[in-house]
Amino acid sequence: MASAYEQLQQQLKQLPGLGYRSAERLALHLLVEKPARLPALVQALEEAARTVRRCTRCGNLAEGDLCVICADARRDQAVVCVVEHVPDLAAFERSGAYRGGYHVLHGKLSPMHGVGPADLNLAALTARLADGTVRELILALSNDVEGEATCHFLTQQLPPGGTVKVSRIGFGLPSGGGVLYADSVTLRSALEARREYS
Amino acid sequence: MRLRRITLQHFRNIAGAELAFASRRQFFAGANGQGKTSLLEAAGFITALRSFRTADPAVLIAHGQPEAALACELDHERLGPTRVVIRLRPGSREVSCDGERVPRIADYLGRFPTVVFTAQDLQLIRGAPALRRRWLDLTLAAIDAGYLAALQSYHRALDERNRLLKLGGPPAELAAFEHPLAAAAAVLGVKRGAALAELTHCLAAAYGRIAAAVEPAAVGLAPVAPAADADGWRRIYADGRTRDLRFRTTLAGPHRDDLEFTLGGRSARDFGSEGEQRSLMLALRLAQADFFQARSGVEPVLLADDVLGELDAGRRERFWAAVGSARQVLATGTRPPDTGPDDWERFRVAGGAFAMEASGA
Ligand SMILES: [Zn+2]
Repeated sequence: MASAYEQLQQQLKQLPGLGYRSAERLALHLLVEKPARLPALVQALEEAARTVRRCTRCGNLAEGDLCVICADARRDQAVVCVVEHVPDLAAFERSGAYRGGYHVLHGKLSPMHGVGPADLNLAALTARLADGTVRELILALSNDVEGEATCHFLTQQLPPGGTVKVSRIGFGLPSGGGVLYADSVTLRSALEARREYS
Repeated sequence: MRLRRITLQHFRNIAGAELAFASRRQFFAGANGQGKTSLLEAAGFITALRSFRTADPAVLIAHGQPEAALACELDHERLGPTRVVIRLRPGSREVSCDGERVPRIADYLGRFPTVVFTAQDLQLIRGAPALRRRWLDLTLAAIDAGYLAALQSYHRALDERNRLLKLGGPPAELAAFEHPLAAAAAVLGVKRGAALAELTHCLAAAYGRIAAAVEPAAVGLAPVAPAADADGWRRIYADGRTRDLRFRTTLAGPHRDDLEFTLGGRSARDFGSEGEQRSLMLALRLAQADFFQARSGVEPVLLADDVLGELDAGRRERFWAAVGSARQVLATGTRPPDTGPDDWERFRVAGGAFAMEASGA
């Protein structure tokens, strides 16, 4: 049976981006160097675990049914920017260049990684599109094979009649990194230069 | 470009070597397994950070060593005197040019062209289609970052589609991945077509000089590509879905392309004599060098691994005439050259060590 210290270190090591050495450093920091931080951290984790969930409309992080963006009446919810992950949404928000709504897929299609349509937050998007309130979809998925395939898949799911305008950004964004690593100026010009997608 | 000095450390069986070259002709003699081919392999590595002998860079690191390093000092048409340093560790490679780290391989491709002649080149005519595709892909990817990107996208999309086919994938998902697959297929098709037209032009000229023959040599896709653009490829993939689902893999596309070499319009594999086939492969490598030079504006260094000994005297003479005096040649063999240029710098290779021999000996 591993000691309490070892158990903590093993839990930390499984977090993304942390290897054995950084997990050890964090564990020592919390237990030995700055033990006073520990109660606040434990409380924040418990509080977040209890209250944070996915927004039922867009998939963003939310503390109620709707996230702050979906609940904001000043935002134009008829324009929906589709992103892969929550940090992509955060990058658009930091840029201040965008005042519409979002939809977070929580991934992109990749059969090789076992990700199919059922694993993405697609049902909620289909529901939004079906009720006729969405006028424009801006696809802000990564500029790679899986991002491109996911864009194409989404356009096949649109309600018939061509009532929804679809555009794609990603041209000019850093390849591979996509939205997340683009600065505000780049994101703003990428939004302005978005192209109709077919 | 000209290779002035090459330094190797823990590269295969070469613990450490530093060789300076004064002329444009170097010959490395020694028994097999002593390190002469490894030296050519190292020199060729600077072109596209690839070995012509193995797809696994880990085997280039001497047993028990944490890393291998090679450094080349070059006189370069565009960059002037340049020092390229490459460090290989298991799973990583690091390149610097004049002390500055090269972060993206796309920025590096095409700067330092080399062309390798090997004894296995005849297999390009006689062997399986995969060998010819690999040659074409490596030739283009070595100097065209756009080709390399399209090739990587294509294989990525192909792997995803093949995975779906094995899962009995629904049509909507197959169609989704056929989209980027077709886009990459179209880019490959256009770039392969343009390159083969240039290569045929160079090949016909080089073959004429080496074989002293009148029948023109050519290389082209056989059969020709069934689609000319992304829409065409999309239709082909969509139409092939039922068949591909049955075979659980993608049966049509640029990954199935083959090349045909012809002499006077007839298949060199079926109708060419052994001598004609040998001349054709030498001509192909010279054509590759001309192609690199035309595209990059840089004179490639030729690396001839144990091929000159197999030529008869007449062919050897015409080969040297076709190479010309401007291009640098590093050649290996078991015996020193008896004919050809007399300004060879000669090195004897044994146990991973190199010793320069007196010139004219
Ligand atoms: Zn929301």
